[in-house]
Amino acid sequence: MPMVTLSPPILLAPAGSPEAAAAALAAGADAIYVGLKGWSRGGGRGELTAEELRGVLAEAARHRRTVQVACNTIPKPAERAFLIERVAEVAAWGVAGVIVNDLGLLSAIRRRLPALPVTASIGCGALSWADAAFYEAAGATCVVFPAVLGPEEVAVVRRHTRLQIEVMIHMVEEFILLGRCLMPSYLRLQPRPLPDAPGDGQRLLGSVKRGGAGVCSRVCQQPWRLEKEGEVWGDGIFPSRQFSRVADLPAYLAAGVDVLKLQGRSLPAEAVYALTRRYREGLDAALRGDPVAAAPAPLPAHWTAVGR
Amino acid sequence: MPPFELNTDISNRRDLQSSDLTPYDALYLGNPYCRDYEANFLERVDELAEAIRQVKGAGRRAYVTTYAAPRNSFLDQIRRVLEVAEREGADAVEAHNLGVLRICRTECPGLPVFVGGFANVYTDVGARVLLDSGARRLTPNYELSLEEIGLLARNTGAEVELLVHGKMPLGISDYCFLLEYEKAWGIPCPSLCQQDLYLRQGDWAMKSVGKGVLSGRDVCMLEHLPALWAAGYRTFRLTALSERPAYRAEVGAVYRAALTGAAAGGGAFPEAWWEVIRRHSRIGLCNGFYFGQSGQAYVPARQEVGA
Repeated sequence: MPMVTLSPPILLAPAGSPEAAAAALAAGADAIYVGLKGWSRGGGRGELTAEELRGVLAEAARHRRTVQVACNTIPKPAERAFLIERVAEVAAWGVAGVIVNDLGLLSAIRRRLPALPVTASIGCGALSWADAAFYEAAGATCVVFPAVLGPEEVAVVRRHTRLQIEVMIHMVEEFILLGRCLMPSYLRLQPRPLPDAPGDGQRLLGSVKRGGAGVCSRVCQQPWRLEKEGEVWGDGIFPSRQFSRVADLPAYLAAGVDVLKLQGRSLPAEAVYALTRRYREGLDAALRGDPVAAAPAPLPAHWTAVGR
Repeated sequence: MPPFELNTDISNRRDLQSSDLTPYDALYLGNPYCRDYEANFLERVDELAEAIRQVKGAGRRAYVTTYAAPRNSFLDQIRRVLEVAEREGADAVEAHNLGVLRICRTECPGLPVFVGGFANVYTDVGARVLLDSGARRLTPNYELSLEEIGLLARNTGAEVELLVHGKMPLGISDYCFLLEYEKAWGIPCPSLCQQDLYLRQGDWAMKSVGKGVLSGRDVCMLEHLPALWAAGYRTFRLTALSERPAYRAEVGAVYRAALTGAAAGGGAFPEAWWEVIRRHSRIGLCNGFYFGQSGQAYVPARQEVGA
C-alpha cells in the first residue's frame, strides 16, 4: 500500500469526565471534546463543570493537545446572550473550538467570536457536499458527517468544499437520523429550570435536539408492536447500526478527511482508553502505509456508545 | 383570493387524480421521505410536470417538495426536479435540507424557496440566516410552542406556515426498516409503507411510513384556529401524505370552512365537523407541541396558553 502523503487528520476522542480526558490523552488522542455542564446534548451522559474543564485544559496543554467544547443545545432567545458569553469565557481559557448543532447559535457565535473555530455537529444533519457548502457559507470551520458516509462520499464532499471535514468513524447510528428525531418529546417533554441561567432558562427533558441534562428517553430502544388495524404484524425495537470504520482509515485519509471523531462521552475512562488506542494504532498504521486490521467483530459491548 | 392559504401534500399521480382538492389553495407535490415511494413525483419528472400543470390549471398554487435527508447521490435527481419546477412555473420549492436550499438559490434563483419542517428552524437567529439565504417562508420545527413561534415570527417578519392538522413528522431515517418484513409478510416495497402501520407500546403509538415516523395521533388545531388567526397566521398545512383521498377531501373541507369562519370573526365548530375529524383519526387527537407540552397532549381551546 502506498504511503499517504496528505496532512494527517486529527484523532478527536470523547471525554465525559476528567478521568476519561486523561485516558484519551494517554491513549494518543490529538484532541478531545467535552461538554460543559448544562449546555450540551445528552448532558447526563457526561459533562464537565467549569472547574473540571479548566483542569482538563491544563492537562491537555501539558500534552500539547487541544480541547473542543460541545455546546450542542439550542438556547431560547432569553438564554442566548448568556450562553454566548459563557462560550467567550471558555474560549479565553484556551478552548480550541466549539461544537454546535443549531444554525442560529453558529451564526451568533460567529458574529461575537469571529476567530473561534466552530464545528457544525453531527446533530446538524449534514449528509452531502451541498450541506457542507451551506455550512461553509454560514461561517462554520468544520462539519461533522456520520460514519454512514463512506470514503467515496467523503471524497465527493472534499471536491466541493474547503471546510474541514470531520467523520464520526466510530458510532452507533440510531434508526432516526441525529438531529431529526422528535420521538422522545412527542411522548414526554418535561421543562426543568437550568441552573445559573437567566430569566426563564430551562432545559427541555425529552427534546433530543434542544439538549440539556438527560434529554433523551431513548424511546427508540424500547420494544414495540407493529400493528395494522389492531392486528399485530411484528414486534421488536428500531434497528441501529454500529459503525467501526477502523479498517477504512486509509481510504478516509485518501479522501481528504481532516478530523476522525469517536463517539462516546458516556463511556468510562477505561473504555475511552481502549477505543482511542485502537484508532490511534490504526491511524498510525494507515499513515505509515501499513495494512489496518478490521475491528474485531462483533465489537465488545463496552466499545459501543450505548452498550448494545 | 382568500385571505389565507390552506395547503396539503400529495406523493404521486394516483393520489392526485383520486383526491378532491376543492378545499385547498395550494399543493406540495412529492414525497420527501423515500426515493422508492410508489411513483413518487420526485422520481418521475414527467408526471411531476403534468401535475404542476394540472394543479395550476385548476387555479391552485403548485409547490414541489424535495427530499428531507438527501445523500450526495440524490442531488442530481433533485436538480432535475428543480429544473422541471422552474420550467413548469411551480410557485415554490420546499427545502427541508440546507444543502438543497443552497442548490435552489445558486442554481434556480428565480424559484421561491420555502423551508420545511425538517430543516430545524428553532430560533429567530436561525430563521434570520435562512431568510438571508433566500428562504421566503418557514415552517418552524414542530417542537416549538406557539409562544416560541410567535417570537420567531415577530423578530424576523418571516411568513410562517403552521401544521394545523394531520400526522406530525417525528423523525426520518436513512433506511427503511419495513424492508425486513418484506418476505415475512409477502408484501413487497413499495406497497409496504402504505399498510397503515402503527408502532405501539403501552400508551404510545406512532405511525410508521418506513423511512419516516409520524405521530400516531393527528394534530388538530381546529378549535384553536380563531386564536391562530388573531395572532396573525395565514398559512396553514394539513398533512396527508400517508392518508387516503377521503381524508384529504373531508378533513380539508372542515378546515376550509373553519378558516373561512375564523377570517369572518366566527368561532363556531359544529358537531358534524368533529364527527369528520374523529372518523378519520384512528388513534386520537393532539396539538403537537404548540402549547409547550408533550407532542401527544391535547389542550382544549378554553385551556390554551401562549397562543
